[in-house]
Amino acid sequence: MIALPVSACAAGGVPAVEEATGRFFAAVAAGQGAAACALLTDAAAASLPEPCATSILDAGLRGGPAQEVAVWGSEAQVRLPQDTVFLHRGAGGWRVRGAGCRPDGERPYDCEVSG
Amino acid sequence: MIRRNGLSLFFLVIFVLALAGQSIAGLGAYNDDQLGSGGDPVSWGAYVTSADFAVDVAENWQSEYLQFLLFIVVTVWLVQRGSPESKTDGTGDQVRPGSPEWAKTGGLRTMLFANSLGLVMGAAFVLSWYAQSVAGTAAYNREQLSQLQDPVTWAGYVASPDFWDRTLQNWQSEFLAVLSMVALSIYLRQRESPESKPVGAPHGETGTDV
Repeated sequence: MIALPVSACAAGGVPAVEEATGRFFAAVAAGQGAAACALLTDAAAASLPEPCATSILDAGLRGGPAQEVAVWGSEAQVRLPQDTVFLHRGAGGWRVRGAGCRPDGERPYDCEVSG
Repeated sequence: MIRRNGLSLFFLVIFVLALAGQSIAGLGAYNDDQLGSGGDPVSWGAYVTSADFAVDVAENWQSEYLQFLLFIVVTVWLVQRGSPESKTDGTGDQVRPGSPEWAKTGGLRTMLFANSLGLVMGAAFVLSWYAQSVAGTAAYNREQLSQLQDPVTWAGYVASPDFWDRTLQNWQSEFLAVLSMVALSIYLRQRESPESKPVGAPHGETGTDV
C-alpha cells in the first residue's frame, strides 16, 4: 500500500474520497459517460454541453493513482499525476465538482469540468 | 442560593441563550452559502460541530478574554485620573482573618494566587486564540476547496489576511469598549452599580477601593 500525503481535519473521509475519484475515472476510461456524469455534482454536470454523457468523455480527462488527498469538511482535493480533482460531499456522498483542473496562479484552478 | 449567585447565573443563562441563537442564525447563513455555491444544506448538529461554527465562537471568546486580561493587567501600571476603573494607589495584599489560605502562606503559592486572575484570563485568551487558528484553518480550507483553490497549512493560515481580519475586527471593538468605559465613567454615573463611582463623587475622584 502506498502512503499518501494527507492533510485533513476529517481523515476518515480520505478512503471515500479516493474511492469516488477512482470510480469516476474508471467510468471515463471505460467510456461509460452516463455513469461518470452520475458522479458529478449537479452544478458540474450542468456546466457541460448536453448531453453530459458524451461531453464528459470528450473532456480529455485522465486519471491515475492519487498522489495527495486533502479533505476539509465537506470539500476535498485529489492530486493525480496529470490532473487535480475537487469533490464535494452532499447527501449522496462524495461527488466531483471539478475535474481536469490546472493551477492558475493565485486564482481558482482552471477546470475542464467545474460547477 | 440562586439569589446569592444571581449575577453569575444571569450571565450564564444569557450566554447559553446567545450561543444557541448564534448556532441557529449561523446555520441559516451557512446553508444559504452552501446552496449558493451548489452544495447541500447541513443539519444543526453537523453545523455546531463544524469548523465554521467553532471559528466564529473562538474568535469572539479570545477577544473577550484578551479584553479582560488587558483590563486586569494594564490597570496595575497605568492610571486614568477620575476613572473608577483605575486605582489611586497600590492596595497591598492585606492579609486578614478569612483570607484565602494561598494568600497567607507566602512563597510560590501566594505569588501564583496573587496573579491568578490574570494568569487564568491569559491562559483562556491564548487557548481560545489557538482554537480560533485551528478551526479557522479548517473553515478557510473548506472554503478554498469549494472555490477550486489550494488549501493552506496552519502556519500559512495564521499569516493570512483572513486570520488577522477576524482577529483585529474583534480586538478593535473590545479596545473601544474598554476605552469608553474608562473615559465615560469619569463623568457619568450609574446609581448603585459597583462599576460606577457614587453619584455624588467628584469627577476628579479616582478609584473606589482605597
